[in-house]
Amino acid sequence: MIQPSLAYIDASTGSLLIQMLTGGVAAAAVVLKMYWRRLRKLLHIGKPEETDSQS
Amino acid sequence: MAIPRENSLTDQEIKTPGIEPGSFRDPDSRVFISHGRILRLLSKQGLADWQKLSSSPLFAELVAEGKLVGTREATDLPDLPDVLQGGVAAVLEHDVIPFVSYPYEWTFSMLRDAALLQLELVERSIGAGMMLKDSTPYNVQFVGARPVFVDVGSFEQLREGEPWAGYRQFCMLFLYPLMLEAWKDIPFQTWLRGNIAGISPQECRNLLSSRDLLRRGAFTHVALHARLERHYENTDTDAKKELKTSGFNQELILANIRRLRRLIKKLEWKRADSEWSGYELTTTYSDEDAKRKAEFVTEVVRTEKPGLVWDLGCNEGHHARIAAETARYVVALDIDALVVDRLYGALAKEGQAKILPLTMNLADPSPGLGWRGLERKPLPDRGSPDLALCLALIHHVSITGNIPVAEFLDWLQSMKTSLVIEFPTPDDPMVSRLLMRKRVGDHPDYNRDWFEQCLAQRFDVVRSEVLSSGERVLYHARPRA
Repeated sequence: MIQPSLAYIDASTGSLLIQMLTGGVAAAAVVLKMYWRRLRKLLHIGKPEETDSQS
Repeated sequence: MAIPRENSLTDQEIKTPGIEPGSFRDPDSRVFISHGRILRLLSKQGLADWQKLSSSPLFAELVAEGKLVGTREATDLPDLPDVLQGGVAAVLEHDVIPFVSYPYEWTFSMLRDAALLQLELVERSIGAGMMLKDSTPYNVQFVGARPVFVDVGSFEQLREGEPWAGYRQFCMLFLYPLMLEAWKDIPFQTWLRGNIAGISPQECRNLLSSRDLLRRGAFTHVALHARLERHYENTDTDAKKELKTSGFNQELILANIRRLRRLIKKLEWKRADSEWSGYELTTTYSDEDAKRKAEFVTEVVRTEKPGLVWDLGCNEGHHARIAAETARYVVALDIDALVVDRLYGALAKEGQAKILPLTMNLADPSPGLGWRGLERKPLPDRGSPDLALCLALIHHVSITGNIPVAEFLDWLQSMKTSLVIEFPTPDDPMVSRLLMRKRVGDHPDYNRDWFEQCLAQRFDVVRSEVLSSGERVLYHARPRA
């Protein structure tokens, strides 16, 4: 079983999010999807928040 | 004759087992040094990660290629300290690195090669369903001129959909130092020595001009990175979850790795000249004196049969190479990063594994750094030499560095090392030049009589030889029994 992420170094939120942009063209879809989800959340529309099922 | 040490460990480390004080950051792995053995204690999670790594073909490939330190499960265990929460689940044993060095002692090319190794390991790990949990150059050591990754505990199971947790650390300790040296000719060594965590995105941004932002990689990896960090500094955004649900995957990490590799390969330190870079061409030695000096070193090295040699003020490494013919290992140190960088390039091309080139100011050598000043050790604490070569050095230490002759010899004496030491008299053209920059009478201790008196008080002088110019004297000395 993979444990939940327990990286011991502080990766910082900004450093994680910028990796959408450092991934080149392939990252564009992720950026669009993330902002689309943020917009839907802002407008209170769409499905309830997906749960993170790692275990 | 010196009794050569079998490895770089200090007498204290061999006699007294103890936890390596620089290994505490990862809660799943601690390094324990016991009777000359380097052991890694693993937690339950650490063991699971090791099993994943060791059962993968990647592990054997990396060890065979010399890119990962030789590692095996330890047998015949000593008493182990209780330092891991939840107990020690397994113990690994590593090959001993001949001499430990730190990134603030490396040159530009060394840090660049270490960065490329780190990127290669991340890329290949992902291919094997693994990841590296951090990205620090302190996980890389050099065996001669070859970088070797030493933190086996850094490998962990890949978690699908998670970004690269070590990216920020990679920027702070590899990418920004290289960018600043390549673009601004700012020596990264002082920055890395000043902050064990490296250069933050905002600090790097502050050091770059608007024009610099047009350079490849600067806008994204520095400016935007710093901006996003500031923006999200005080928010509760769960970036990992958000990225995962938006479809982030390891292909994006691999794309980032490939871009970083291209960027780093193009970074070059273009400095063409330095105070010492033309030394071998402009030196005041006659050919006869240079030849005699090399012969003197050869004779002493053959007599002493040293294990570890330090060549202090190594310049292009001529005498380090002579020593390496006999010695187990040679650490070649020079204040001038450019000449050391060139030496590293030459040694790397030759595949030299016995000479470790490092840059250091002997008047201000690496101190203990980090938590309690113990994480990174001072130079002598990493293995003092059996023989120190101090050729064409003491006038610079004494006159330029203002270190009293007696104190410099005290330092050498404290390491119980044999010596080949050269004393250029005040009539030597280089000494005259250095003295001209000072007030008359500023260095009353810089004369041959006083030097010889100080040397004889601290060492047994085996022999001395005046070079044909009459302005330089070589001494072979041994520590007092």
